[in-house]
Amino acid sequence: MNWPQLLVTVLTLGSIFGVVTLSLNLQYARGGMINFGIVAYFAVGAYTYAIFTQPPPQGLDQYKFGFGWPWWAAVIVAGLAALVFAAVTGWPTLRLRGEYLALTTFAFAEVFHSVLLNERRIGNGTVGLARVERPFGDWGPIEEKYVFAGAAALLLVATLVVFRRLLVSPYGRALDAIRDDETAAMAAGKPAQQMRRQVFLISAVPVGFAGAVYAMFTTLAQPSLFTAEVTFIVWIALVLGGERSVYGVVLGTLGLVFFEEIVRAWPFETVRSAQIAAAVEHVVTGLVFIAVLRYQPFQAAATRLRASR
Amino acid sequence: MLLLQFFVSGVATGCFLILATIGFSLTRRVEGFLNIAHAELLGVSAFTTWWLNSHHGWHVLAAAVAAIAFTALVGLGIARVVYDPIRHREPAVLLITSTGVAFVIGGALHGLIGTGIRTLDIGLAQRYEAFGLRVTSHQLIVVGLAAAVSVSLAVFLNRTRTGLAIRAMAVNPELAASRGVNLSATSRATWLLSSGLAGLAGVMLAMLATLTTDLAFAQILQILAVAILAGLGSLYAVILSGLLVGVAMDVSAYWIPAGYRPLVAFAVVIVVLLFRPAGLAGTRSA
Repeated sequence: MNWPQLLVTVLTLGSIFGVVTLSLNLQYARGGMINFGIVAYFAVGAYTYAIFTQPPPQGLDQYKFGFGWPWWAAVIVAGLAALVFAAVTGWPTLRLRGEYLALTTFAFAEVFHSVLLNERRIGNGTVGLARVERPFGDWGPIEEKYVFAGAAALLLVATLVVFRRLLVSPYGRALDAIRDDETAAMAAGKPAQQMRRQVFLISAVPVGFAGAVYAMFTTLAQPSLFTAEVTFIVWIALVLGGERSVYGVVLGTLGLVFFEEIVRAWPFETVRSAQIAAAVEHVVTGLVFIAVLRYQPFQAAATRLRASR
Repeated sequence: MLLLQFFVSGVATGCFLILATIGFSLTRRVEGFLNIAHAELLGVSAFTTWWLNSHHGWHVLAAAVAAIAFTALVGLGIARVVYDPIRHREPAVLLITSTGVAFVIGGALHGLIGTGIRTLDIGLAQRYEAFGLRVTSHQLIVVGLAAAVSVSLAVFLNRTRTGLAIRAMAVNPELAASRGVNLSATSRATWLLSSGLAGLAGVMLAMLATLTTDLAFAQILQILAVAILAGLGSLYAVILSGLLVGVAMDVSAYWIPAGYRPLVAFAVVIVVLLFRPAGLAGTRSA
């Protein structure tokens, strides 16, 4: 097994998905919103980046738009696009709470997925957009993949810092108050509904950035990359890390990605055994998920840590 | 005329959706959470039927009965092992846990069955024509079963002791317990019933469609659409909303490409939720 390559992949993917998990954590643990369609915001970021950087269509291309912008501009647009998408989907859904919200966001993600699949003018339908631009070359002696992993890690750290600043600010404390007792917070003059909407919008932006970076990583924007499975993986990571701890969330994501990459990198002899391995990966992921939710080992550890301090 | 033909097949689709959703809604109503893994139980049943039917040469009816019984037991087993220990937690935790269960069942199906397309050994459906409209015998079976299940479920819930206990538990478990309802027995009965209904829907799925291991999970979207539209947990509204979603999906194929069918289902849901946030059945969501 090629360990350095594996670790670079884990760092890159872990950082990308870590950003998504952090945003989900903000929505769920602070805003009390269950977003079961987080993959759609991720996909919006990825597709926006691909569309804005690719050359105009030619030959067999079925897509209609390609703007050939520089990568940094496209990344910013990807974040904005996720914000706009959050505003559009949040408008009808955020009046709903709890499981109704979970289901409608899930529905929105599936609808978006089916539009990407069927509407060839956006991104070539099932084929997707290939050869997405990767911005960094080699930096002197440092290979491109290390530079890229560093950039992804930087995005994660930036998101972490911004969210931490936000959560320790008076705004963050107001959010906690709304989560703990909405009626009391509203009586104290906090606009609960409005603030929840703001959290939903704010947290969509880093997800859009992460989507753009993911498109660079895979150099591909294809509907099959953005299925409900991504949503579930991110939720599992969130639950793994303990839903109230920001660092736990990042660790949980890295751990999960590491586990998946090991299964993926394992050299299999036959197609059938690789198939079985993929199936086993699913089963084990599911079992870990069930066990963690039941026994909550990480939350228990965090509580003990806090108590001993 | 073509439009009417789409309408007829939409009714059959709707009846399948009723069968697939009614167990899901029953779980939501009695156990109080959304069991995403319900759709995977359809897959368990469909592939058990297929395995007994085409590998072991069982008659399709015998295979179907065995598959439904097996699925009911699997559903009960999962409930006892996975859901019962965490039932005091908030519904969101159970909802997320059930996606874990869906992963486990889906992965197990992938591993055991593998990729590829499979069909039951039952021959082609017979076609009937009336007033220029075509229906297949398979569609008639689905419609008949949906009607029979709806009626017998209503009779069961309103006339039998177990049925009344299930309804009492759904409304107020503490009160039901204090009036002598055995909660754990009632919960077991509910799981057997809802998983058995998933089993029946799975057999229908095996009959109507060619089987792939992804097929079961694809059903959860439509099940969710129908359940949300009906108002989570209401049972009778499932009949109306199942038909509505089925007809809307199939009739829409008249104007727009068939690939958009799931999109149409959710478009209906989103429009309804904008005007009636608690679904067709109204405020009653307990």
